[in-house]
Amino acid sequence: MVSTVVLDLVERIGAVSVGTIVEVPLQPGEADTVAAWCARSGNELVSATEDRAVVRRGRPATEAFFYDVPPEQRPGARLWLYTNFDCNLACDCCCARSSPKAPRRAIGVDRICRLVAEAADAGVREVFLTGGEPFLLPDLDVVVHTCVDRLPTTLLTNGMLFRGTRLAMLRRMPRDGFTLQISLDSATADMHDRHRGAGTWQRAIDGIGIARAEGFRVRVAATVAPHEANTDAQAAFHQKLDGMGIRREDQVVRPVAQRGFATDGLALTVDTLLPEVTVTADGIYWHPVGADHDDQLVTHELFPLRTAIDEVQRRFTEYRLTAAVGAQRFPCA
Amino acid sequence: MTTRPLMIGAVAYTPNVVPIWEGIRDYFVDGPAQMDFVLYSNYGRQVEALLDGYIDIAWNTNLAWVRTVLRTDGACRALAMRDTDLTFSTVFVTRPGSGLRDITDLKGRRLALGSRDSAQAAILPVHFLREAGLGESDVELLRIDTDLGKHGDTGRSELDAIRAVLDDRADAAALGITTWEAIGRDELMPGALEQFWQSPTYCHCNFTALDTLPAERTDPWVEHLLAMDWDNPDHRRILELEGLRRWKRPDLAGYASLFEAVKQQEIAARW
Ligand code: SF4
Repeated sequence: MVSTVVLDLVERIGAVSVGTIVEVPLQPGEADTVAAWCARSGNELVSATEDRAVVRRGRPATEAFFYDVPPEQRPGARLWLYTNFDCNLACDCCCARSSPKAPRRAIGVDRICRLVAEAADAGVREVFLTGGEPFLLPDLDVVVHTCVDRLPTTLLTNGMLFRGTRLAMLRRMPRDGFTLQISLDSATADMHDRHRGAGTWQRAIDGIGIARAEGFRVRVAATVAPHEANTDAQAAFHQKLDGMGIRREDQVVRPVAQRGFATDGLALTVDTLLPEVTVTADGIYWHPVGADHDDQLVTHELFPLRTAIDEVQRRFTEYRLTAAVGAQRFPCA
Repeated sequence: MTTRPLMIGAVAYTPNVVPIWEGIRDYFVDGPAQMDFVLYSNYGRQVEALLDGYIDIAWNTNLAWVRTVLRTDGACRALAMRDTDLTFSTVFVTRPGSGLRDITDLKGRRLALGSRDSAQAAILPVHFLREAGLGESDVELLRIDTDLGKHGDTGRSELDAIRAVLDDRADAAALGITTWEAIGRDELMPGALEQFWQSPTYCHCNFTALDTLPAERTDPWVEHLLAMDWDNPDHRRILELEGLRRWKRPDLAGYASLFEAVKQQEIAARW
């Protein structure tokens, strides 16, 4: 006798709305046919026993988790590139353990060029360049052009090196499709300098002024330790930036992550952290705050990038499925 | 002055129609032309509502489009359709070993048809038979009139036509290509069915407006509709539910066969 289970499935699923479960009786040997039909038609096989199959109309819940995240925050929408790990500063809150003594570990222009091209093809919408301090690289302007040619790009910097050849390099960078994100932690020098070094606040303020005078879009991002966070300080910070002409959407306040040199801060683990695919010279990581940490390593293989993005998306939906809690978003930009 | 949202009519042939139209309405919220929707229980009622001005645009099947054209003497226009509506077709399927290899082999055999108001599973199959030189007396037609008024949208009558073939109440069945795809063609029921003929492509549904609705009102709406992007996951969710990858501008030539069939078979312009 010919199996008609597929006809029953089409009829019963066609009569209900997405998310509704239907049951169909099974004859021996029909379970595989039901599984094949579900895979082909984009419906979810909930269970199949000897005599009945349970099917939910619509894509499996794992995909729903993915789509529940706003498009610009979905895993794979943003690509972070750690251009290098060395830095002119050695902040105590640095999640990348950067300092003047840290080895450079640069990705290099050629690999960045390939990564960004593959990223655009894989559906990435935005690139973020970070470090270390990217302005220590002599060819940073080439790196920036390479990225901006393909995707909107933000460059994170401490804003302290805009002098001499580096100022000339800054001037060669594109104004369109490009944003500079400069770190400034507080409205006054005390807190910023306490974590980043004496005199750094004033130089960051000067850097913001130079970048704006050169016609760049500047976003300012503060990193604040939990015990130092208070609403008065935050209000003063926004007031200061308002006064400097920085738009509110370009004023970001982030908590310190308990990573790298930071002993205090927000604990972040892969299964609770909304991933943002992050590339370093050593591999691909779950999120920029974990780019120097093995627990967030996804793969040592940089290419093809799509494989790593697929893997991050797969793990994300898997964690979401098993965890009762939703993933936290930890905004770095 | 704020413009009243465009009212779109659609037929509620399954509960799934609700999330589809809510998704489309939400997509238009931030766009240049807002819309809302009204659901009807059958295409007859919907076309009357369009003619009476209760709705601005109707999401019509091909038969509802033909009837709207006939009722208005052509004073209506098709605004857009799915990519899948541009390349619709009818397939004839049979049991392997039935000896049917072409449409002309149906002479003296039994053909199961879907609901008599289904263009793909009843009206056009009869038309294709005539084009192949087979009149209604040459082929024994088994008509399965389930879900009349839905124009075959539920696919139920087509599934029943397949059951008729499997139960040996018919030698062949006429199906819309979407039903054939939905059952996995001949791949998921191996040895049960095979396709032996496929029709030329024709057009299926479209968004229909009367000529009295000015282009200034429809143009921004159509432009925004056509801008739905498969690569945008939010849009894709709606597109997948409605069974398309891209909205397209209509190709009216794709309705020629149905106009001819309606005329030849003397199908009334009214329900
Ligand atoms: S936080 Fe930024 S500026 Fe400070 S050491 Fe790390 S990379 Fe350098």
